[in-house]
Amino acid sequence: MTIVKKSLPYLLAVVASFVAAGIFIALMGFDVFKAYQTILFTSFRTPNGFIQTLLKFVPLLLLALAFTIPLTAGKFNIGGEGQMMAGGIGAAAMGIMFADLPAIILLPLVILGGVVAGALWGLVPAWLLYKFNINEILTTVLFNFIALFLIDYVCTGPWRDPAAGHPTTVLIGRGGWLPMLVNNPPLHSGIILAVLVAIGVYIYTSRTTGGYELIATGANPRAAGVFGIKTRRMFVLSLVLGGAVAGLAGAFEVAGNQHRLIEGMQSNFLQLGMIIGLISRGNNGAVPFVAFLIAVLEVGASAMQRTMMIPVEVVFIVEALILLFVLLSDVVRRK
Amino acid sequence: MDTTIIDFLRLVLLSMVPFVLAGQGTMLGGRTGVFNVAQEGMMLVGASVGFLVSYYSGSIFLGVIVAMLSGALFGLALAYFTTSLKMNQFVIGLALFFIGLGVSTLLPKLILGITLTPPLIPTLKGIPIPLLSQIPFIGPILFNQNILVYVSVLVSIGLWYFLFRTQKGLELRSVGEYPMTADSLGINTTKMRYWSTIIGGMLIGMAGAYLPMVYAGTFTEGMTMGRGWLAIALTFFGGWSPLPILYGSLFFSAVEVLAFRVQVIGSFLPYQILQMFPYIATILVMIFTFKRARVPAFLGNNYDREKRSL
Repeated sequence: MTIVKKSLPYLLAVVASFVAAGIFIALMGFDVFKAYQTILFTSFRTPNGFIQTLLKFVPLLLLALAFTIPLTAGKFNIGGEGQMMAGGIGAAAMGIMFADLPAIILLPLVILGGVVAGALWGLVPAWLLYKFNINEILTTVLFNFIALFLIDYVCTGPWRDPAAGHPTTVLIGRGGWLPMLVNNPPLHSGIILAVLVAIGVYIYTSRTTGGYELIATGANPRAAGVFGIKTRRMFVLSLVLGGAVAGLAGAFEVAGNQHRLIEGMQSNFLQLGMIIGLISRGNNGAVPFVAFLIAVLEVGASAMQRTMMIPVEVVFIVEALILLFVLLSDVVRRK
Repeated sequence: MDTTIIDFLRLVLLSMVPFVLAGQGTMLGGRTGVFNVAQEGMMLVGASVGFLVSYYSGSIFLGVIVAMLSGALFGLALAYFTTSLKMNQFVIGLALFFIGLGVSTLLPKLILGITLTPPLIPTLKGIPIPLLSQIPFIGPILFNQNILVYVSVLVSIGLWYFLFRTQKGLELRSVGEYPMTADSLGINTTKMRYWSTIIGGMLIGMAGAYLPMVYAGTFTEGMTMGRGWLAIALTFFGGWSPLPILYGSLFFSAVEVLAFRVQVIGSFLPYQILQMFPYIATILVMIFTFKRARVPAFLGNNYDREKRSL
């Protein structure tokens, strides 16, 4: 009963945003039912659709966690995109520099390269917050742009693949490729690690002392400080952890999907990750489920654009509306 | 050499406009305690709508007006969710940022379709001010700019006069400092917050419209390139005061123009490093100014008069 009661506002929010977007789609002169059918069922109709969904799910899940882990401590990390790109650069650097190493060494090196690079990209804003009290929203965003140009430099610099039309690096060493779970259509094993990370984050934040200190810091930094929690260190820790998780997403894109660094790999995972994190209300346990739903919508959206010529942005707006309505349901309940 | 300097300074003034307008818009809302973080999305909508309206109506003026109205709409939404519904300002700001991001790319796709050669609008021309523009050196820099350069300076001076020289301005500022006192003095805090956020939104929308009208002649996805976020940094840099924000935007714009100029001329540095320069410079500037920045005391909070304390 309580679960029904709890999920009712969410369901209403989803329905409301679909109705709102449906009216809009109809006004544009498209077939609403066919559009929604495409959006909702593309993922489940073919094996290819389902695997596409899982492949989208991995970065979405990780970028959502990169947002919610710092949010647990009350900090807004809007730098997931930059941290993911840094992770991709770190992973590609390892994979290209040590291309000849065997898989048993190279693969962990590639993954670690991504995680460390992402963590470093989160560390700088965290340090600026710690040392100079500079608002982390601004610095994390600015670091996205710095990463954007850095990735352009890496993809057009000495590691450039001259045969490719788009800025990309050469392939990383074969040993750095993630093993495949399914070969055709391809699904890499990063998804297992991603789910393990999500479970780990959930356990850490809800079942351990360290995680409890994070939550206490987020709930009331002053009170947490009074009880001896080093709140400023918690801010740093949460932002670095968030960066590491986003960096992992970048490493997976390199080691699992492309096997090279490609400009534009970040897609719009940052915005979607934040939407997922906010819809989950920063609840790390809810993040994987919301991330999967958004992955379904995203795969459906591209199918809809291909077959019906409805721009994908329509679905992005639906997702933003779901977020707004979920937030509004809070207000309704308060009254 | 002389013409290079004139050209550089002229471009700095030309490029400061989006920073000035978005900075003042952010400042105005912040002065009543509403911390807007949706600038990037609002500017993109302003750019998109401003471009489309100018293209179809043939009137840049109408484009600017509609872009301002779209900004006002976002400002109204922000004011309603934060002031009336008392929802978290950052979260609502981010939600509005997402919506703006989506709407700004959706509209051109729907209206123009997907085209290989984007349609162009005529860019804003310089308006030489009689006599003044004839002064050597200063004339071409200051008095031969497009109309929005003049507007942005006038807006800044007007805001300074309003906020620091009028009774209403004092009342507005008090809402952002200590709304409980303001309320007890009979100031309508809700109304103040609504109007400051809406008018601030208009300025941010206008800042967005400037981009296609002056630089590219068309709208491209994500063309703000973080200027909305930089505007927040600028507002802190300017201590949430109109005139320092105006001066500060000169600095932000100079960095942008410099990075671009050096790229064109060519240097030993890879051009990507130069492109990073404005963002790195902003972070460095924040290190030196953030601690000392004077910030409205109630910034980012919502006032509930039914509660006993703030």
